[in-house]
Amino acid sequence: MADFRAGERVRVRAVDPEGHTRVPRYVRGQVGRIVECQGRWALADECAAGVAAPRVEPVYTVAFAARDLWGEGGHEVTVDLWESYIERVREDGA
Amino acid sequence: MSGEHTSTPVAARVRRLEARLTEAGVVTEEQLDAALAAMLAGASPVNGARIVARAWTDPGFRERLLADANAALPEVGLSMAGGIQEQRLKVVANTATTHHVLVCTLCSCYPIGLLGPSPSWYKSEAYRSRVVREPRAVLAEFGLELPADTTITVWDSSAESRYMVLPRRPEGTEGRSEAELAALVTREGLIGTAAV
Amino acid sequence: MSRVNDVGGQAGFGALEIEADEPPFHADWEARVFALNSVLVRNGVYRLDQFRDAVERMAPQEYLAASYYERWLHAIETLLAERGLLGDG
Repeated sequence: MADFRAGERVRVRAVDPEGHTRVPRYVRGQVGRIVECQGRWALADECAAGVAAPRVEPVYTVAFAARDLWGEGGHEVTVDLWESYIERVREDGA
Repeated sequence: MSGEHTSTPVAARVRRLEARLTEAGVVTEEQLDAALAAMLAGASPVNGARIVARAWTDPGFRERLLADANAALPEVGLSMAGGIQEQRLKVVANTATTHHVLVCTLCSCYPIGLLGPSPSWYKSEAYRSRVVREPRAVLAEFGLELPADTTITVWDSSAESRYMVLPRRPEGTEGRSEAELAALVTREGLIGTAAV
Repeated sequence: MSRVNDVGGQAGFGALEIEADEPPFHADWEARVFALNSVLVRNGVYRLDQFRDAVERMAPQEYLAASYYERWLHAIETLLAERGLLGDG
């Protein structure tokens, strides 16, 4: 089942795939907070690549503070991210 | 946007493409006509407005809607099924201190069935680039000025969830029927670029 | 690689153009393009994700100069050509 729980801090992997992906550039490498799991969905990257049986993974709503993304702003931006797009933030913040 | 001077060559190009595909049996005219008719008939902000009006008058429905919108929609005769794959609907409620606004920065995703065909501004680079960066300024361009202590959340529909805003019920509307309340709700209110 | 469609936070796109009482389509051909894409996906010719990918693969200058449904048309033609479904052209 879903690996990340609401409230957990996660980092968006700083990857730069060649093909279609659904990680917006503005959150790559950024740390956000899990809002909720949206269920399990076929991974967009593999669907776009024509993989016959694409991986099905949990998708999470992750909230980012505008201050973290842009250095200013009081708002939050949420992005819906497949599990393979994100990783746990370690205790020491790494 | 495409200017008038480019519309004729493009129209001819589309007609040729359609002819080639129907001749080859890849699509049929009936399928094309049905797809267009279904969208034009079924996709309207009137649907989203109906959901909002019910949520304003029925606290139990509101709770069920916010917890699991897909399950609650049939209560007002609507559904997220009917497409190729049922999408997950997430309804986010504005409050006295929080305001929500929707975007798809990567393309133009949005629940067409409940909000109607998306407006060009929603699909534009200007909106998609700016609303995540400076939502207050973007909302001001729509004439929506929010109090300084209102928190704004921008929801970027980057996966398979589709979002809809549940606006706050306007003051002074006590006693109005669901139909009257639904008539107050605009597509912009459902996207978050208007108060209602 | 980040593609031209990935515009969140990008500068320079200016003020919004808000058209009052905008119709669903500005020309008949746009409606036909909408219908074509809908049926092609439903008939399994390509997936919606492949369609998005094809839009994103447009050359940046072309993408930015094209209208919304011109992008759709470009993507449809690209995908059909790649599947050998456009014939002699």
